[in-house]
Amino acid sequence: MKNIDNLNIVRQGFIRRRVRWLTITLILTAVTILLSSMLLMYGSTRYPLSKVIQVLFGEEVKGASFAIGTIRLPRMLAGLLVGISFGIAGNTFQTMLRNPLASPDIIGITSGSSVAAVFCILILKISGNAVSIAAVVFGLLVAGLIYLLSKGGSFSGGRLILIGIGIQAMMNATISFLLLRANQYDVPAALRWMSGSLNGMQMKSIPTLFLVVIIFAAIILLLGKHLSILELGDQSAITLGLRTDFTRLSLVLSAVFLIAFSTAVTGPIAFVAFLAGPIAGRLVGTGVSNGIPSGLVGAILVLGGDLIGQFAFNVRFPVGIVTGIMGAPYLLILLIRMNRTGGAA
Amino acid sequence: MSTTHDFSAKRIVAGYEKKAILHEIDVAIPSNKISVIIGANASGKSTLLKTLARLIKPTSGDAVLDGNKISAFPSKQLAQLLGLLPQSPVVPEGIIVSDLVARGRFPYQTFLKGMDIEDYIAITEALEIMGITDLADRCVDELSGGQRQRVWIAMAMAQQTDILLLDEPTTFLDIAYQVEILDLLTDLNRKRGTTIVMVLHDINLSARYADYIFAVHKGKLVAEGTPKEIISEELIKRVYGLDCAVIKDPVSNSPFVVPKGRYHVS
Repeated sequence: MKNIDNLNIVRQGFIRRRVRWLTITLILTAVTILLSSMLLMYGSTRYPLSKVIQVLFGEEVKGASFAIGTIRLPRMLAGLLVGISFGIAGNTFQTMLRNPLASPDIIGITSGSSVAAVFCILILKISGNAVSIAAVVFGLLVAGLIYLLSKGGSFSGGRLILIGIGIQAMMNATISFLLLRANQYDVPAALRWMSGSLNGMQMKSIPTLFLVVIIFAAIILLLGKHLSILELGDQSAITLGLRTDFTRLSLVLSAVFLIAFSTAVTGPIAFVAFLAGPIAGRLVGTGVSNGIPSGLVGAILVLGGDLIGQFAFNVRFPVGIVTGIMGAPYLLILLIRMNRTGGAA
Repeated sequence: MSTTHDFSAKRIVAGYEKKAILHEIDVAIPSNKISVIIGANASGKSTLLKTLARLIKPTSGDAVLDGNKISAFPSKQLAQLLGLLPQSPVVPEGIIVSDLVARGRFPYQTFLKGMDIEDYIAITEALEIMGITDLADRCVDELSGGQRQRVWIAMAMAQQTDILLLDEPTTFLDIAYQVEILDLLTDLNRKRGTTIVMVLHDINLSARYADYIFAVHKGKLVAEGTPKEIISEELIKRVYGLDCAVIKDPVSNSPFVVPKGRYHVS
């Protein structure tokens, strides 16, 4: 090394980006906490923060204990966990396939899980963990199918995304078919679920969801450095000593578990997986691992979307409608930009 | 300085799907030297390089480094000895130069250990030798082809391998950048003793910069040796199917191939 100044310049660059990452992550955490508390405070009756805290610490407060403990808390926790898992899983797929369109809710994996869930709800008339398991199994099957069909072009690139979009259409057609065949009295419930809603969340579905999110989010975050190497393409990754097949399999399995489990609980909340990664990337800058920021952005989108859906209009909208309205323009912008740069899908 | 390594491939048969491209090739890479693999399109030169870099698993035979098959090495340990710059490496969108170069440090990192002073020194040195210290905080997307190629070589350098393989490092670059990149690789070889093996298309630049040349034709090694020993009208006819005259390069005294086409021959 010729020059100690150069070392310091390079090092400061890394430190500066690290500080930026930490600052943004702290701000995102603060916003997430703020939105979570707002979801506990607001509702048909508004409770002050002190009451909310009393209830959370297990004190019996007349009226508030029921409204917060039984209705708002599970709703908020479900939104938080599902948002984190959509954000992290979406970002994992997008980074691994180096394309913002390669999000599980665009390439059919979310729809695959939805088919299984709708089938369970409408035809088998079961609910709870069995639905989650069916959703996971079907989500994995769909991921496997997309992988097999696109194998000729290796596990990357536009081919996989186009096949995924095709699969997505097939899955949506299957859902429509199931809705048409079902007993018409069951259809509204299925449609509500399909639009992605936190309404009527119950505390009993939270512990399993919590466990799944903790385990698989942890696996993905631990593999963050590996993911950033995989992003360089297989040849560079193998050269750098990464066991590519094992890493990819672990990441895909974990991401599908997150997506499928969350979808089974709240329904497919539109575009959260698709939006979270790119927004987080814009905020913290690319090149640094953005798994944690993506999870937080996902949570903010779901919690914020639910607040808007509940209180911004005269009518209450499910959260999936709000995120859908936010996501659609971004999808269009992305497609237009891709078209301009020469269609590098 | 890099240590000496015994790096060779014995009776390699390799290819894609079921079609064999290499037919029982033997090569022994001269340690601490610059070797160039030449050959026509689809002769198997790139396959040979990829097999040496373990990107392609041979159907029989294996590349052997210091007495051990490369497939038997723990992957990160091998990554500390043997590096490769692919022909068209993938640039993650929006990545910053020093972040990309830092990824070359992956073989030295573990689950818990982040970047330490050794990593920063390796990154800074790589940027310095490639002359891109002032680009450290720039976005790779904004750079020219030549600058970008320097960034990739810097990443391979940060990996600090004793052996570096490069698949057509000068393709897509204009003549000035080609010479510049080959000069930088020669710097790397002279300063650190890095063993360099590369596939090049330009036969005259190969003859000038290589210490040793492997000529591949239809999946077989047809000649090897120093450029002066092996570059001849017969070899070029055999490998490329091209008539030519071989003269002396007025700048470097290395052999210089002047092609003969159907026109403009006096």
